[in-house]
Amino acid sequence: MTVYKVSYVVTGSEHPGAIVNLDHAPAVGEHITLGDHKFEVIEVLNLVPPRGDFHYIHATIKLVATFQD
Amino acid sequence: MELTNILRKAELFNGLSEDELQHVASLCGERRLARGEILTTQGVRGDELFIVTEGLVEVLITESQNDSHKIIVNLGKGQLIGEMSLVDKGPRSATVRAIIEPTLVQVIQRDQFEALCEQNTHVGYIVMRNIATDLSFKLRHRNLSEGK
Repeated sequence: MTVYKVSYVVTGSEHPGAIVNLDHAPAVGEHITLGDHKFEVIEVLNLVPPRGDFHYIHATIKLVATFQD
Repeated sequence: MELTNILRKAELFNGLSEDELQHVASLCGERRLARGEILTTQGVRGDELFIVTEGLVEVLITESQNDSHKIIVNLGKGQLIGEMSLVDKGPRSATVRAIIEPTLVQVIQRDQFEALCEQNTHVGYIVMRNIATDLSFKLRHRNLSEGK
């Protein structure tokens, strides 16, 4: 079992980003949804060395769409 | 999914044995939050620790000068809430609100969790180390967000 703990930082927007555990590593070009917003991953870096089953990732994302209620 | 398998994917319990995880699981209760429902309120004393197992919450701080709110981060699956009150016993440092429905959290009473950590020093060491790592990660996230 590998867990990817990801710090999503949003560029070009006031959105505060998110911290989320994933079961796969984020990839450049991938689209993700956080609440009412859809983002594209534009950069992925290892933030600190892995420990045990946990990998610590920093991903820069940009807003591509906002859903309306 | 069995609760121990869910807890194993939360960093707080990284390094615990199966028996230790089962003991932790016996202290947990699930809470389901509607969209917009408040989990913790800034400035209010809190005696519970939360682990998000599904959904997403936003963490807000109120700036005392002008009473305005600022969302500082969203937290999703596997993330820990209430760890600062566990460590320093101070009031909640932020308001936490669900932004997806359903959002599910596992709730652990602080007193019961502290008692487990004192009875079993291996659990206590692992948990405190993992809380330190989590706080460090959150700080790194904040630094990166503010530097963008």
